[in-house]
Amino acid sequence: MAQGFPDEEFTNVVAELDAVVVGREDATLTVRWFAGEQPESDPGFSFHYSGPDADFGWHHEPNPHVDGWSHFQRREQWGSAYRYEPHSFASLAPVRVVWEVLAKLDAELVE
Amino acid sequence: MTESAPGVETWKAHTTAFDRVRSVAVSASGPRTAAEIAADAAVAENTARDHLERLVEMNVVLRGERGGTTTYAPDPLHARAGSIRELLDTHDHDGLIELKAELQERTAEWAAEYEVDSPRELRERAADAEDAATTRRMRADANDWELVAHRLGLVEEAIRNYTTYSRSGRASA
Repeated sequence: MAQGFPDEEFTNVVAELDAVVVGREDATLTVRWFAGEQPESDPGFSFHYSGPDADFGWHHEPNPHVDGWSHFQRREQWGSAYRYEPHSFASLAPVRVVWEVLAKLDAELVE
Repeated sequence: MTESAPGVETWKAHTTAFDRVRSVAVSASGPRTAAEIAADAAVAENTARDHLERLVEMNVVLRGERGGTTTYAPDPLHARAGSIRELLDTHDHDGLIELKAELQERTAEWAAEYEVDSPRELRERAADAEDAATTRRMRADANDWELVAHRLGLVEEAIRNYTTYSRSGRASA
């Protein structure tokens, strides 16, 4: 389960995932979401999968390795360096991001 | 509209148009037009407007205006009530008190680590940090602190009104 509680004027985001979605019981999908310091701010968020077979995630937050906020990062082994790729989210609406990431997560785990 | 975007077709297959409009509308950070919500919900604008007006009647979203255009924003009162209901459904009274203690411990740890009393102060200090990595870490902790403080407020309200709000506290007919 991932929950975000932005500033009290705003609403919350809730997602429930189980091992069927993530693919393995010993893997985790860590979700962080912050709606921004102001109502008009873009949200900062990350969906990061960690398992014995892979470690990757989609992030929308500042990172010194990429231009812009949206990117995909992956490393093949624990301790190895991440490789970074630019990414473009179709929408920054929370529910849309969740469905987009789940679709991409499924594809990434198949590879 | 971006119906071919990843995940959208699966989303549409698992939800109704009303579900999608509601989920987009209640998770917005601020007022949005029916057209903006329609685009994100993968529905026609008229469909979105009809559903949004129904959500207004249900006190789920608030109607507003921006430059002569009607906007819709989450009703904070509805969102807050939903969060408290969820806390009461997942914790008994002792569990809520334990959760409150955990949240208080987290805020105390940030206060001690950074020697500040609030997330706002931590953001101000982050601006003067010695390097970019420290700035990012401090801003991330400030964001998390905001979330924990907000959740702490919800937990405290749930504890104060436990008997009145909890399902087990209701008098039987």
